[in-house]
Amino acid sequence: MSGTAWIEFEGVNLDRGGRPVLRDLSASLGGYAVGLVGANGAGKSTLIGALLGVLRARSGRIRVLGMDLPGAAQQVRTRAGVMAEQAGVFPGGSGVEAVMFAGQLTGLRRKEALRRAHRALDALDVGEERYRPTLGYSTGMRQRCKLAMSLVHDPEILILDEPTVGLDPPGRLQLLELIRDLKTEGRRILISTHILQDAEFLCDELLLLQAGTVAYSGTISALVGTRDEMLIARGPQLGAQLAGVLGAAGVDVLGSGVDELRFRSSSDALRTFWKLVADRSLEVRRLERHALDFEDAVVEAMTGTRATNGAPPRLGERGNEGVAR
Amino acid sequence: MTLDAPGQGALVDTADPRRAPGGPGPLGGKRTFRGRTAPSGSRIIAAIARREILLASRRKLVRLLFLFSVIPPVILTVIILVRIFAEQATGAKLGFDPLIQFLHFQAVPVALLAFGLGTPLVAQDRAEDVLFLYATRPVAPWHYGLGKMLAVALPCFGLLLFPGLLIAILRLGITRELDTAAAIAMVAKIGFAGLVVAWGYAGLTVGPSALTKRARWAQLLSFALFLIPGVIGSLVGELLRTDVPPIGAGSAITELLTALLGDGEWGVASTLILVGYGFLGYWVTTARVKREMIP
Repeated sequence: MSGTAWIEFEGVNLDRGGRPVLRDLSASLGGYAVGLVGANGAGKSTLIGALLGVLRARSGRIRVLGMDLPGAAQQVRTRAGVMAEQAGVFPGGSGVEAVMFAGQLTGLRRKEALRRAHRALDALDVGEERYRPTLGYSTGMRQRCKLAMSLVHDPEILILDEPTVGLDPPGRLQLLELIRDLKTEGRRILISTHILQDAEFLCDELLLLQAGTVAYSGTISALVGTRDEMLIARGPQLGAQLAGVLGAAGVDVLGSGVDELRFRSSSDALRTFWKLVADRSLEVRRLERHALDFEDAVVEAMTGTRATNGAPPRLGERGNEGVAR
Repeated sequence: MTLDAPGQGALVDTADPRRAPGGPGPLGGKRTFRGRTAPSGSRIIAAIARREILLASRRKLVRLLFLFSVIPPVILTVIILVRIFAEQATGAKLGFDPLIQFLHFQAVPVALLAFGLGTPLVAQDRAEDVLFLYATRPVAPWHYGLGKMLAVALPCFGLLLFPGLLIAILRLGITRELDTAAAIAMVAKIGFAGLVVAWGYAGLTVGPSALTKRARWAQLLSFALFLIPGVIGSLVGELLRTDVPPIGAGSAITELLTALLGDGEWGVASTLILVGYGFLGYWVTTARVKREMIP
């Protein structure tokens, strides 16, 4: 589902408070829905700030919809709808007024902004509550209102920061379905999330950040690959004695503990494993197969234990090399 | 269900369970987005100012203060009318022109209105963490700062200009004390004073609001800014036994009105002081917002 890149980073370095937050970041993202995933402090919010031209990179190049930032920041912000996790709803008025005001700030005239505000709130199933002051809104209502604020001006791209945080399961599912519908309309969406299921449900491409660098950039299908299988072997001193030698023998070791060893399954890998077990007279008490799912793939990419699985080299090649470590 | 026409902002009714993942878009296919240009700064500033004035007009305190600001000019008009009719009836020249005193008095309720309008403006946004929301729109810190300042300055300016207009119309049209040129000159002078005072008031109330997340603290700070410089100015004058420029807002307003409508000597200094307060408040606001617009 990928197309022309609408977000491009080339060797971006960005400092905050004298501390490097984004380091030599390179990626080119063209998916209709791109998941921005990373641990706390990985640089997700900073990256969103850079995409809006609020934060300026020390070096490197950032382009959104083919426009260079921060020079085209006003233009990008006009064409983008942003739902920010840390920001609330414009205070002092009702929900519909907050959404209307958000529209006016992007250049809509008052009447047009009001008309669109009602339509956006209708689409999000916000009934009469839209006329209540936003101060008394529940978390779910606030999230809906925030999404309506980001949609009111019919943006070409959407940047959603933790859109489902604080929602109950039905509310979350409803919001996810709405976002998916927005994607099918042809909008480009960047979703920053901690919830991997949300990213898997919505996204076709992933930008995985690890301490300000790209741990993975590419399609989700390429990350998960052909649903490889992992073998988990358990036995006394198995991990401690075999992890190194198995890796040296060319087997893709995915992780190890003292008594546990995880490696990618293949007939060669299994043969090598049994040979080394026999050579060292080790005891294997349990050996099980485990299918690699999306979460495993993400965790592996973030911990650097995963070899690249043929993801096509992109602008973020360095990131892919990082995965191959 | 499509809720809007193609290219006009379609949103989807997700209540329809038949929508399959990856199916056609709500318009039956992919939409084409037209390039949209960033709105002008003046439109954004106007939107910010208009919203704040609208929201403030719903607050009871602000309505009360507004009413309190409208009453003095009406009383002034009645007094002037009575004076004129008394002069015409008796043929005597009373020589009583309460204009300056009344304009000065008018500055007090308008100051209270500015206080009610301006002190919550930025503090409330900071408390609700919405400054980043402005940054996600094509809003620059100076748009925000100017919008908030105008939300205070425009109503204040209107209320300060109101007596001037009322009296000019009265003297020109009813009592015929003034000719057109004199009436225009009077309105221009009062308008100029109103502009300077309103801008100063905006700075003295919005600036403190940008320094705290609590409107109460902003009110205290603003109150102190209204009073303390004037007290310091008086003390310095007493100590040096000389006239010092009016550094307090109150004394600056008095001196400005006296210079414009009478024979005061501190007209320029008063103007600079009040305009300076305005720009100080504007600068504090934009500087603070610039820092907090960052995620």
